[in-house]
Amino acid sequence: MSRTLNQANGDLLREFLSIADLLEEPRLAQLYAYLARDGEATTQDLIEALDLPQGTAYSYVDRLVDAGVIQVVSETPPRRYAAREIELTVTTADGEREYTITPALIDAVGRRETDADIDTYIDRHGIAGLATALTYTVERERGEMSHRLMARDLDISPLAAEIILQALRPIVHEHFDIETTGGSLADIEGVDTDFDDA
Amino acid sequence: MSAIHIGDTGLFVAIGDTKNRRYHAVRTFAYRNDIGFVLPERVYDELTANRSADRTPPIDAAIDDGWVRVADPLNYTIPLVSRVMDGVQRYIANADSRPEDEIERADAALAGVAAQAFSEGTANEAYVYTTDHDAGEGIETIFASEGYGDSITYINGFRFVNDLVD
Repeated sequence: MSRTLNQANGDLLREFLSIADLLEEPRLAQLYAYLARDGEATTQDLIEALDLPQGTAYSYVDRLVDAGVIQVVSETPPRRYAAREIELTVTTADGEREYTITPALIDAVGRRETDADIDTYIDRHGIAGLATALTYTVERERGEMSHRLMARDLDISPLAAEIILQALRPIVHEHFDIETTGGSLADIEGVDTDFDDA
Repeated sequence: MSAIHIGDTGLFVAIGDTKNRRYHAVRTFAYRNDIGFVLPERVYDELTANRSADRTPPIDAAIDDGWVRVADPLNYTIPLVSRVMDGVQRYIANADSRPEDEIERADAALAGVAAQAFSEGTANEAYVYTTDHDAGEGIETIFASEGYGDSITYINGFRFVNDLVD
């Protein structure tokens, strides 16, 4: 590897550090995830959608633009912003483990403030652990994995596996194309389903 | 016609705690239709093991309320029970590209409880509520190969709960 940090490497390093910031700060991650999911928005849209204080929202947007993970898509006021696609593969020094930072992972991290199950999982297994769990959730939703196999692979309890699989499921359905299988209420014969559960 | 409704771990995680709307919706559904959900012993063990470390689903509250019960121990001497259990285990091993001995018996137990009810004549129809699609599909496939295709239905636990609260 070259010892000279050329322009391209410098940009890459800057982007890497800004993505690391995203993973450290759930509210920053939330803002990025919102743009990645919902397309373009103004700062005012973000303030309303994410219930952010005005000053915080402007400073977050500036940081994300400086970091190059979101960009201005329309200069005419009010400015509109959009997320840039992120995909960063991290390999541990011994080369044994590898995980990919994607918008879905950033979205998951952004939800730790509002989802106790995701928060607990990150406390116990770190961001890398959450990235692994996200991969398992995609496979499970595609019918190629069960919570019991995940528990076995990762040496956690089947209940802990099921809990994080369920917490990550909405994120997987927003970011990936998933076909649902299995019956539902309408397939249960002879039951009364017309009632108010309140 | 009588039906047995067999629940997997995922269903009871999906309903949340006793204050949750989803818990109440599923309980009301059970009461209204005089349905008791049945759990294989292994599923009950999964839900209640390690109470301190994980968020514990309110399975004991549901049992006390009378709409959930733990299944009788499986009788492996009933040929249909052992056949479908082996079949489901093989199916999941194939679907997930794993050696068969890595597949937990809890998946197979869902099928075992249905087979035992069919063999003992306590039910002629079974619904299996799971959030593991490979298990659900496997159970339907194996019972179909045993000639019980019309008698068993895999219910996607997420869709079921969502439909009840929507």
